[in-house]
Amino acid sequence: MAHIHLEDGSFTLVWVVVWWACALLLIGISLYLVRSAQKPDNRRITIAAFCTAAAFAIFQISIPVFGGVHINLTPLIGILTGPAIGSLVVLIINILSAAIGHGGWSMIGANTLVNIAEVAVAYATWRILKPCIPGLFPRAGIATIAGLLCGNIAMILIIVISGVQGVNQGTAQILAGLSLLAAVNMGVAVIEAFVTGMIVTYIGKVRPDLLRGERP
Amino acid sequence: MIALPEKKGLLIFLGLLALVIVVSLAAYQMTGQMDIKERFSHAVGLEHAEDAGKEGSGWFGLSLEGSPLLYGVTLGILAIGCYAAYLHFSV
Repeated sequence: MAHIHLEDGSFTLVWVVVWWACALLLIGISLYLVRSAQKPDNRRITIAAFCTAAAFAIFQISIPVFGGVHINLTPLIGILTGPAIGSLVVLIINILSAAIGHGGWSMIGANTLVNIAEVAVAYATWRILKPCIPGLFPRAGIATIAGLLCGNIAMILIIVISGVQGVNQGTAQILAGLSLLAAVNMGVAVIEAFVTGMIVTYIGKVRPDLLRGERP
Repeated sequence: MIALPEKKGLLIFLGLLALVIVVSLAAYQMTGQMDIKERFSHAVGLEHAEDAGKEGSGWFGLSLEGSPLLYGVTLGILAIGCYAAYLHFSV
């Protein structure tokens, strides 16, 4: 997963405001899309609630792989709820995580953007691959890897654009360091891809109606 | 018997996984053993030593970020909310 693990004060106030504004703009668009739906989809709202609880629960746990990494289930959120509701879910998870002391409050905007990228790309990959890869497990796995890769790229871009206060490294050095970090981070994408693939396959077997666009 | 499109999907997925594992292991070899916060601080050039010695705590190396009490309370509230939504919307 991609998550900016920097303390409050790492970004200047201007960049904190910029990333918050971008995140709120996307959240506003998501809210508009959800509210403009002809009929509220109660089933999807319930799935979103379950996704929020599950992702919050697992996101706070550091797994002893490569020294310690997190799973955050954002691709699963994208696949099950879509990008509009998924964006709202990741905002709530980021706020709750900051509230219990995991991540800085000023980083919520940037981290929400990173997670929205994961949700949206995973959902798009899941939908686009449907005609050529009908199998739920490999399609969900590939969507997870694509989503997490884009999340890592978004994370690198946000940090490189913002810069980090109190460091003397140049942009090239930070970019090199973050690229290595993202490559290590992608190791957990393997675990997350299997977890997501298995969950989606299970849902596809027992409740295929819960998978958007899949034939029951 | 696995159908051809299914087999193709699995092969692409496994190939992608193999690639990701190789790249991750290579990057891990280059950076060494660090927890996620240390790795982040090191990547951007920040000094960070407050988490040293934290590794290995918890069950089977799993550790919790943030306050365990708040984690439990929040998770409990979310679980109750999920149960209420499940009953209310009759999913």
